[in-house]
Amino acid sequence: MSKPHRLPAGGLVDRGASLAFSFDGKRYAGHPGDTLASALLANGVKLVGRSFKYHRPRGVLTAGFEEPNALVELRSGARREPNTKATVAELFDGLEARSQNRWPSLAFDLLAVNQLASPAFVAGFYYKTFMWPASFWEKLYEPMIRRAAGLGRAAEAADPDSYEKTTAHCDLLVIGGGAGGLAAALAAGRAGARVIIADEDFVLGGRLNAERRSVGDVASADWAAQAAAELASLPEVTVLTRTTVTSVHDGGVYGALERVSDHLAQPLSHQPRQRFWRIVAKRSVLASGALERPIPFGNNDRPGVMLAGAVRTYINRFGVAPGKRAVVYANNDDAAATVADLVAAGCEVAAVVDARGDASALQATAKAAGALLVFGRTVARAYGGRVVEGCEIADARGDTFNVPCDLIAVSGGWSPAIQLTNHLNGRPAWDDRRAAFLPGVTPPGMTVVGSANGDFGLAETFATGARAGAEAAAAEGFSGAGFELPSVEPEAGETYGDGPWRPTIKRGKAFVDFQNDVTVSDVELSAREGFRSVEHLKRYTTLGMATDQGKTSNVVGLALMAEITGKSIPDTGVTMNRPPYTPVAIGALAGAHRHKEFRPTRLPPSHFWAEEQGAVFTETGQWMRAAYFPRRGEADWFETMVREVETVRTKVGVYDASTLGKIDIHGPDAATLLDKVYVNAFASLAVGKARYGLMLREDGVAMDDGTTTRLGDQHFYMTTTTANAGAVMRHLEFAKQWLWPELDVHFASVTDQWAQYAIAGPRSRDVVAALVDPGFDVSNEALPYMGATELTVCGGVKARLFRLSFSGELAYELAVPARYGDAMIRAIVKAGEPFGICPYGAEALAVMRIEKGHAAGPELNGNTTGADLGMGRMMSKKKDFIGRTLAGREGLADPSRPALVGFRPVDRTARLRSGAHFVARGAEPTAANDEGYMTSTAYSPSNGHWIGLGFLARGASRMGEIVRAYDPVRDGDVEVEVVSPVFVDPEGARLRA
Amino acid sequence: MPEPLVARSALRAHVAPVVTASVEPGVTLRERSGLTLATVSALGGRDAELADAVRSAFGLELPTTPKRVAAGEAAFVWAGPGKWLATSTGAADFASLPAGVSDQSDGRTVLSVSGPLARETLATLIAVDLHPRAFAAGDVALTHAASIAVHLWRVDDEAAFELAVFRSYAATLWRWLVHAGAARNIDARLDG
Amino acid sequence: MRIACPHCGTRGLDEFAYLGDATVVRPDPSAENAETAFVEYVYLRDNPAGRHRELWSHALGCQSWLVVTRDVRTHAIESVENARDVATARDQGAGQ
Repeated sequence: MSKPHRLPAGGLVDRGASLAFSFDGKRYAGHPGDTLASALLANGVKLVGRSFKYHRPRGVLTAGFEEPNALVELRSGARREPNTKATVAELFDGLEARSQNRWPSLAFDLLAVNQLASPAFVAGFYYKTFMWPASFWEKLYEPMIRRAAGLGRAAEAADPDSYEKTTAHCDLLVIGGGAGGLAAALAAGRAGARVIIADEDFVLGGRLNAERRSVGDVASADWAAQAAAELASLPEVTVLTRTTVTSVHDGGVYGALERVSDHLAQPLSHQPRQRFWRIVAKRSVLASGALERPIPFGNNDRPGVMLAGAVRTYINRFGVAPGKRAVVYANNDDAAATVADLVAAGCEVAAVVDARGDASALQATAKAAGALLVFGRTVARAYGGRVVEGCEIADARGDTFNVPCDLIAVSGGWSPAIQLTNHLNGRPAWDDRRAAFLPGVTPPGMTVVGSANGDFGLAETFATGARAGAEAAAAEGFSGAGFELPSVEPEAGETYGDGPWRPTIKRGKAFVDFQNDVTVSDVELSAREGFRSVEHLKRYTTLGMATDQGKTSNVVGLALMAEITGKSIPDTGVTMNRPPYTPVAIGALAGAHRHKEFRPTRLPPSHFWAEEQGAVFTETGQWMRAAYFPRRGEADWFETMVREVETVRTKVGVYDASTLGKIDIHGPDAATLLDKVYVNAFASLAVGKARYGLMLREDGVAMDDGTTTRLGDQHFYMTTTTANAGAVMRHLEFAKQWLWPELDVHFASVTDQWAQYAIAGPRSRDVVAALVDPGFDVSNEALPYMGATELTVCGGVKARLFRLSFSGELAYELAVPARYGDAMIRAIVKAGEPFGICPYGAEALAVMRIEKGHAAGPELNGNTTGADLGMGRMMSKKKDFIGRTLAGREGLADPSRPALVGFRPVDRTARLRSGAHFVARGAEPTAANDEGYMTSTAYSPSNGHWIGLGFLARGASRMGEIVRAYDPVRDGDVEVEVVSPVFVDPEGARLRA
Repeated sequence: MPEPLVARSALRAHVAPVVTASVEPGVTLRERSGLTLATVSALGGRDAELADAVRSAFGLELPTTPKRVAAGEAAFVWAGPGKWLATSTGAADFASLPAGVSDQSDGRTVLSVSGPLARETLATLIAVDLHPRAFAAGDVALTHAASIAVHLWRVDDEAAFELAVFRSYAATLWRWLVHAGAARNIDARLDG
Repeated sequence: MRIACPHCGTRGLDEFAYLGDATVVRPDPSAENAETAFVEYVYLRDNPAGRHRELWSHALGCQSWLVVTRDVRTHAIESVENARDVATARDQGAGQ
């Protein structure tokens, strides 16, 4: 296959190897070392996409991450990825790329009529047009706009690849692997410091690979390769290529995206597609270089218009001539190198247009190249249908002439890539001489070097980089060999360029922001309509708001507005940049923690046994709990739940309560602390006894509840709800460390130490008696309700036995060390077989606790007080405790507040729903008549109908009253009777049996 | 009479996958089972008494900074100000120390992560700097592995780390380590 | 943000849980105006644009409560103290 634009020699591509790829279905070939853009240009493909709004033909503008035009879709199927910059997409064998935003084809895009209707697409179009009627938005405007606009198509299938996140630490992070970065990394790395050098490119060197010049006595690209090899050999230096530092955070933390496998058709086995690095660096050197700016002129977006520095990159690094006959249009002398390199590559330089009037190095080079030299003039427009066929050059009076060409190399000067210096709110500073924003206040620990700091010369870049690297190393205690500055030829003339930003002659659209299709006219319109501050300009025109975040357009747009309004650039505003520097896939930020591994799963000790029983599981926080244990022939969870409840109420059941938070409390002041965190007294609790306790927040609202057992004079064992275990532990530590630092009390989480099984039901004592070792007495006399004892079970396994009941039945909680948890539940079930035992799950438990009127999560909902929960009398008046004072506030102590009561439907067949609101019988169901709400409901197998718990205004005094439970969301409107919240054994005879 | 209870690990192959490295493993993952563990809290004004007791019973100086000291079967791992995790490969009587002592022999699962790529593997989950310059043999960190609280120490100058994790999290942490180790030639085997 | 725990060393924000203002002191519940004082203690907060003292817990670390003094505009941390030490000094000062 012929590659008409590949130069016969030169560049960093491996000409000995060929890589096949396709673009819009057509097959081409390139070389290892090519980007998709360089390979397309080598094959003479200039038209690579259509623009966002006007569907104008677009080509390759740059050779880097700032590319606004050459956005393509890569790969296919689930790996299809839109908006990939062809200028950085590394070529691989079999790469499939497609152009975007065209229909039916790139060459004949019917939606290009948008540009004929372009008045409808000017700045502010959305704000002005689609205002009324509102219903048109969903049905008409939005679908229409979405079809016409948009940037590529996302894959519809789930991403098949994996991502990794990792953390790295270093003394020095070097951001950018060009001359300044290499010098910094070598200076610090040779001294022995831990250095990470990151560059977004797949080879280190930056513009050393793009220029035709010498460093010392070797070609700049060879020097870069040697430097890279040395860095790779240093044990404490980490070289991250294909890695973009995307963000700066407080404390010397940097985010970086490594494209591990983007240069492969698919990741190698077990390798992630991308890796997101969190880099913690004591210091950093920002050597991010500079980004060249375009100059607006008519049709400056035509394929064939390219930045002058990018032209050199394609010639020198990739061995590709982006055109055969070029016009160079510039306002600075850096473009002189483009003229020279074009000539050296055998291309014709038809004309050099220097926007400046005075003699310059650029003009000298143009003369030496024999090009037509035009100075003090501008390019008025490019012409040509889908690609550049020539340019029209204008003088100040408006006279024009045409120069045929297929390439227009443009340089509007360079903008230092200072984006990362803004991330901690450091505002950039405008520098008039350099016509650029320079870093203002830099993030702590960061030094900016080379052209990123406005020092565009190579010698200065080496010098500032080496100095920053050596200083960083020395500050961390490393000094050593250092970095000897290589000799380089100085650059000719001025790299700085300023304007003209506003074309004097209007010939076609002159683009400022290529990716978002924002033109000079849009900026003018914005100024006319009063949107003159840079923040308004941005939002009115969308300038700088595309995925490239205005890397090539922000300064030009700002300078234009300044020129239009007659203000200085600093007076017009500053463009701030926020993370990320370049787009980061959400998958990379999520890393490996997706799907079921999004967060950890905690397994209780009975889990594997429960799996064998065919349990159905439910997640409670991070815990996996058995919801119910279905048996053959049971139709659904309901049928199973009813059987489990009935078995517990008539025989015996076993439940894994290990997920409750468990805290060991030691120390002489343990009882004192408990008295301060619980509303009720614990100092008086006898050894071997358990007590229910309620904790409040300081504002008087209920926080958590549970039982605490006194195991010794200075040793308590607290349980918390499953969900609040961590928060309670923090609360206890807070009370100890901050509120009452004099207390000598100590906490240890023992949640995972103990497997704790509730054995509940009239036959539970028989089961327990069969398990405890001889000599231990579990009779009601020896171990009454709320008693606790330490003993051994099953032949010497130490255990704690508590006479606690959540179900309301005679019940025990048996705790054994967790390693025996699996065997223990098997032993319990075996010992319980003669008594008809069955395991029960969270569903049955939830029903039984509603039957007993125990408050749980729905009642401890952050709004309810102890009094609301019916525990007002439990709150000690003899001692201070957290929440006591504010619980006594008038509003919280108001007896008309909704209080916890039970409900049953008047029509016993009716179903109750949580969330229903109570209104008096006959009252309108309005917010004004709201008297509370239902928190928990269940079908009660013990009662044979639905029951509910809820908070009803003055509830305790309304027993027997009928109210409406109104639930408009689910069309519920049920009459319910107010009853005691205890639906089973209200005297508590069973649990004391 | 019920049968004696059998002790079981928190790890089973279906939730904690086993991987056998074909060549020299980059990272090796094992459970350190059979340890006696206890959290030990110094009671107010009795620090010296506790230090003396540990010295006489175990021949160890209780560390007051994030360090681990070990002699024979026993080790004391700093676990916060005035707190330690006492470990022993045998049966040790930590309960009689003059301190607040809670048995944690079943509360924690201890995993050993070693090998040339151990540090790189751990870095995908743990943000603490584990470079030998920053985290030498005997150094200890209380931190988290992608939100799972871990108590981590470096055993020796080789890349050998141990992590104590709440038992109920052990299977998840094992899976995450195996996942991170997949590209790093992990060898992960369960006991027995 | 990274916080230098006086016990563990410098760690990322992900290990810490924020509580809030460290300048407020739990009032004496037996005082005459206790309810008013508690309302102020629980609800009324200064919102200084600049230096502030805050309570943080090293929740995924050593469980210590810390008093962090920082500039809330720049996140620059001036000092990190062990809350229990600060509280002990506070209570001793109050008792004198």
